[in-house]
Amino acid sequence: MTSPLSALLERSGNPAIGAYESLRLVQDSGINRIHSLILNKGKEEMMTALIIIFGLFIYLILYLTYGKKLERDVVKASNEQATPSHRLYDGVDYIPARREVLLGHHFASIAGAAPIIGPALAICWGWAPALLWVWLGNIFIGAVHDYLSLMASVRYDGKSVQFVATDLIGKRTGYAFYWIVFFLLILVVAAFAAIIGGMFVRTPAIASAYIYKIIAALILGVLIYRAKMNFSLATIIGIVMLGFAIWLGTVTPIKASYMTWMWVFFFYIIVASSIPVNILLQPRDYLNSWLLYAGLVLGFLSAVFAFRGFEVPAFAGFSPVLLGGKATPFWPAIPLVIACGSLSGFHSLVASGTSSKQLDKETDGLMIGYGAMFLEGFLSTIVIVAIAGFGYTALKTAAAAKAMEFTLNASNWGATFTGLSGKLGLSKANLFVQSYADMAAATWLSFIPGKYVKVLAGMWVASFAMTTLDTTNRLARYCLAEMAAPLKESAAGLYNFLANRWAASIIPAAIGIYLAASGNWLIIWGSFGAANQLIASIALMTGAAYVAKKLKSGFANAAVIPAWLLWITVTAAILWFIIVVQPGAIAAKPVPGWTVTVILVVMFILNFVFVFDFIKSKSYKKAG
Amino acid sequence: MLHCMPVHGVGCRAPVILKIIGRIMISSIVQWVRRMFADFDATHREKATALTVMEMEELENIFALLVLGSFAGFPSPPTFIAVELLPYMERELQILSKRAKECNDMLAEMCGTIGID
Repeated sequence: MTSPLSALLERSGNPAIGAYESLRLVQDSGINRIHSLILNKGKEEMMTALIIIFGLFIYLILYLTYGKKLERDVVKASNEQATPSHRLYDGVDYIPARREVLLGHHFASIAGAAPIIGPALAICWGWAPALLWVWLGNIFIGAVHDYLSLMASVRYDGKSVQFVATDLIGKRTGYAFYWIVFFLLILVVAAFAAIIGGMFVRTPAIASAYIYKIIAALILGVLIYRAKMNFSLATIIGIVMLGFAIWLGTVTPIKASYMTWMWVFFFYIIVASSIPVNILLQPRDYLNSWLLYAGLVLGFLSAVFAFRGFEVPAFAGFSPVLLGGKATPFWPAIPLVIACGSLSGFHSLVASGTSSKQLDKETDGLMIGYGAMFLEGFLSTIVIVAIAGFGYTALKTAAAAKAMEFTLNASNWGATFTGLSGKLGLSKANLFVQSYADMAAATWLSFIPGKYVKVLAGMWVASFAMTTLDTTNRLARYCLAEMAAPLKESAAGLYNFLANRWAASIIPAAIGIYLAASGNWLIIWGSFGAANQLIASIALMTGAAYVAKKLKSGFANAAVIPAWLLWITVTAAILWFIIVVQPGAIAAKPVPGWTVTVILVVMFILNFVFVFDFIKSKSYKKAG
Repeated sequence: MLHCMPVHGVGCRAPVILKIIGRIMISSIVQWVRRMFADFDATHREKATALTVMEMEELENIFALLVLGSFAGFPSPPTFIAVELLPYMERELQILSKRAKECNDMLAEMCGTIGID
């Protein structure tokens, strides 16, 4: 006999409505009347809360099942073998850390602006494909990639994934790493400078609040490192100054053109990456971490209590207009759009750089490598929920302010969304910032004035993007010096120039800012995604090679299959990008168009060189 | 509602057991919350110092190289200075030696310390 609950679930095809109906049944049966507050909401109004709670639920279940399976059968984690933090303890780099502390540190290092921007763009396919790629990509590729990078590094005495790749696959792979990372860094500067520039022009209050935040960071630096003030007291003062910066920013907005901001960023990057870290970078990063947690907590609470239906269509077509104004197919282009929210190559470097040297026990690795990526995916889930629930209203409000009218529905969303959001000044991060503020205003958190929440959200994105700009330059300097090493004997003059501190700073900053100023942001974002995912592909192949070749794991296909899937997808995506998107970009603006094309072509060739070496190393044959 | 089941000569024990369980639970929750805050604090202290520590280590490396660079092939300073400082620099020597081995694998460490994405 079919139970009433099963009948209801069968009748409603939509699982969200099914879940709603089941809750209604619980209420009707009189078991729990406390939920009446929630159940009085309409069916559709439950969507924001349901997706967030469902997301939490599947992350938890998959962590405890699939994650544990990876730990047991793929990585074969065992606490019997000491980690590098104990074996090589030196009190400097190799120090065991409590896993909760290490999780916080690792998450703060991998979380940035990219997991916010990517999902905001991917909404052009509709909320369901974006959400599916975040969740599935996270669980089966991204988190596996991070976890394997971490554990391979742990078993290699804390050496980097680049070192492991060199050892397992070949010397060329290790060297190719530098090239792809260098390209990635240039594209990161370009993409993030354009994001911040666009946001500063659209909402000048964010620009002024950010400048005040820098002043607050300088003061905090003096208080902590010079005046040696009590840490807790200095933190409280820093947070108060941060709040004050947000308020002052709304009072005194700084208006400037996009090009002006590009010049400001160029000089800022050069100066910020050259001064001692304790003056600006360190205290600013510290304030950023508070912004991150404040943004996450506020976003989570808002999404749970917003009780809002989704305005954005669930599926708006397979090939909406997106990258370079071209019809962009979900496969293979999705990893170019959602990079860090689902999987990111940078994470392999972070995991194998410092986290692996501080891991206390091998069994802690799952929480750090696998779990931190889930947190990042959850951040992207909040972004998708905010835009799916409030994005359409944000577009309508912006259109009303410009006396424009439009109609968007499932049939024309894909063709219209990207162009329309650009016209309304809600492209890049702006749509997220507005939707986030509206989402908070729809809850009991509405006692916080919307303009402050908007600046907070903007500061969240801008702070992480700006941090990336100057830290990127430090990394690019190092990459350039390593890449130029072969020239040391043959062309000593050129080597000296490239390894020079100032030249190595100016080259990536100048190319990056030039690309950002060229204006074709969607080309830059796609290229950034390509470089990022290419590194992820190499790191995942390395991880797969490690479990197949060294560990001979029975369940090695959990790493090998995603590795090949990612490599094929990324290769197809780059090829599609070069053939379909780039000709238009070159025709519109030849110099930046060709610059990006050359970068993409070189990466494409390196990609094949790498996979050739991978096959030659016979790593894949040992799988399964 | 929990029904009390009297036991011969003992009486109803359920409320006492519930109280004990309640106390244990409250104490566990309090401990958990305290640990959570302690971890949060530790994470933030680490966040507030990681970059400065990195820069300080670099300065120490430079100092060690200047003073005891002969171990890594650099010209040595006046012998009496090196000999005088030698007993104080055992740790620096160990780190110098380790860093010399790892100096071609710094990209990931920089990414991990600086944080990027």
